[in-house]
Amino acid sequence: MKILPKDTFLILCVFGLDSFITRKIQKMHVHELNPWRTLIALSVFIVILIVGFLTMHKPLLKYEVDMKQSMEELKKPDACFSPVELNEFLNKKNQNVVLFDIRDNFTFGQGHIPGAENISANELTQEKNIKRLEDLKENGTTVVLYGEDQLQANGPWMLFRQVGFDNVKILLGGYQYYIQHKDNLADKTESDFKKGVPRYNFAEIASRNNNTQVNSETAAKKSVVVRRKKKAVAAAGGC
Amino acid sequence: MNRNYIFLTILMLVLATGTLFVNKTIKLKQVEPQQLLMEIVQPTRYVNTDLVAKMIIQNDPSLELIDVRSANEFGKFSLTNAINIPLDSLINESSLDYFGIPGTKVVFISNDDIEADQAWVLTKRLGFNSIYVMKGGLNRWMETIIQPQKPSDDSPLTAFETYEFRNGARLYFTGAKIDNEETGKVKVVVRRKKKSAAASGGC
Repeated sequence: MKILPKDTFLILCVFGLDSFITRKIQKMHVHELNPWRTLIALSVFIVILIVGFLTMHKPLLKYEVDMKQSMEELKKPDACFSPVELNEFLNKKNQNVVLFDIRDNFTFGQGHIPGAENISANELTQEKNIKRLEDLKENGTTVVLYGEDQLQANGPWMLFRQVGFDNVKILLGGYQYYIQHKDNLADKTESDFKKGVPRYNFAEIASRNNNTQVNSETAAKKSVVVRRKKKAVAAAGGC
Repeated sequence: MNRNYIFLTILMLVLATGTLFVNKTIKLKQVEPQQLLMEIVQPTRYVNTDLVAKMIIQNDPSLELIDVRSANEFGKFSLTNAINIPLDSLINESSLDYFGIPGTKVVFISNDDIEADQAWVLTKRLGFNSIYVMKGGLNRWMETIIQPQKPSDDSPLTAFETYEFRNGARLYFTGAKIDNEETGKVKVVVRRKKKSAAASGGC
C-alpha cells in the first residue's frame, strides 16, 4: 500500500484539527462539561479517515501471483500458443481466440497474421487496453500475444500472467516463424519452434582442436620448387 | 477518568493495530506492474555478444555474467567467470545476493535469449537495476565470436572491423594458434646447382 501526498495531507488535517480542538478544550476547561465537542471532533476524524480510504489511489494493475508462482507460470504448457494451434485458428476450427500484434503500427501495416489486432507494446499500459483484456478474460476468450520474434512478446506476456490474466498466451516462434512456415504450419513438431535449446555442441565448437582446423580457407598451399636452369655457357669476359 | 479519553485511547489502539496489518502485506519490495510493463517494452536491456566479448577480454571488473542454464549444461561449457544460477533457483535468498551490487552490470545468459529475458523480468520485478540480457545467447555467441563469418566484399567498413575484432576474440576464447594464418604463405625452396665451371675472366 502506498501513502500518497493526498493521504498525508488528510492525516495532517486530522492531526491539526484534533490538536486545535484539544487546545481549545484545555484552555476553556470545558471538555468535561461539554462532551459533545469531543464527540464532534471524533466523528469528523473518523469521517475524514473513511473519505481518505475510499478515495485512495487504486492501481490499474496488481500482482495476483507471487514470485514463486510466476516462476511456475513459465513452465505451464497451456500458457503458450503453438503454431499448430495457430493453424487451427486460421482454419476456423478454434474461434475463441483473439490475436494481439504488439509490433508498432508501421510494421503491422507491412504484413501481419490474418485477423490480428494491432496494439503496439507502448500502448499496452493504456487504460482502455487493460479494460479490453479484462472484458476478454470475463468472456473466457484466449488472448495470444505475438511480436516480431518470440523475445519481443516474452516480457509483456510474463507481466500479464503475473497480474492475473491467465487467458493470455504467447505465440511460440513469433511472427518470423509464422511468415517462414506459413504454408506448412500443421506439419511442424515442437522441436521446430521450441526456444531455449542449444543449436550447437558448445563445448565442441569452442574447443581448441576444433578451431585450429577451422581456417581451411587459409590452408597451406603446395610448396613450389624453383629450379634454376643450367647456364649454357659460363660467363666470360668482363669489362 | 473521563469516558471520552477511553474512547480516544481505544480508537488510537485500533488504528495502531491497523498499521501492523499494512506492514505485513509488504514482504518483498516490488516494482509496480505498470512501471514494470513500461520498462519491459523498452529494448535498452539487450547487449550484443561483441560487447560482452570485449568486456571479458578487457577484464572489466564491473561485468557480472549470470548463466541461467541448468548446472549440467553449465558444466559442459560456460563463458569466462560466469556464475551459474539456474532459472529455477533464481529467486532464492542466496541467489539474490548476486544482484544489486553497486558498480556491477549483471548480464543474463542462456541458450538463446528467452530464458535470460525471463530471468530479467523476474529480477526487475524485485526492483534490481543495471541488469541486462545478452541478445541471441550462447547460440549467437558461437555464430559471431567462435565462428565469425567473413563479410561480403561490398559490406561497409564497420562490418570488416567487427570481423577483425571477432577473429581476435576467437583466438582469445578458443586458444587457437595465432601462427595458423602464416601457413598460407608460399614456401619457396631454392636449390642451387653446383656450377660446372669456375667463372673466368674479369678485369
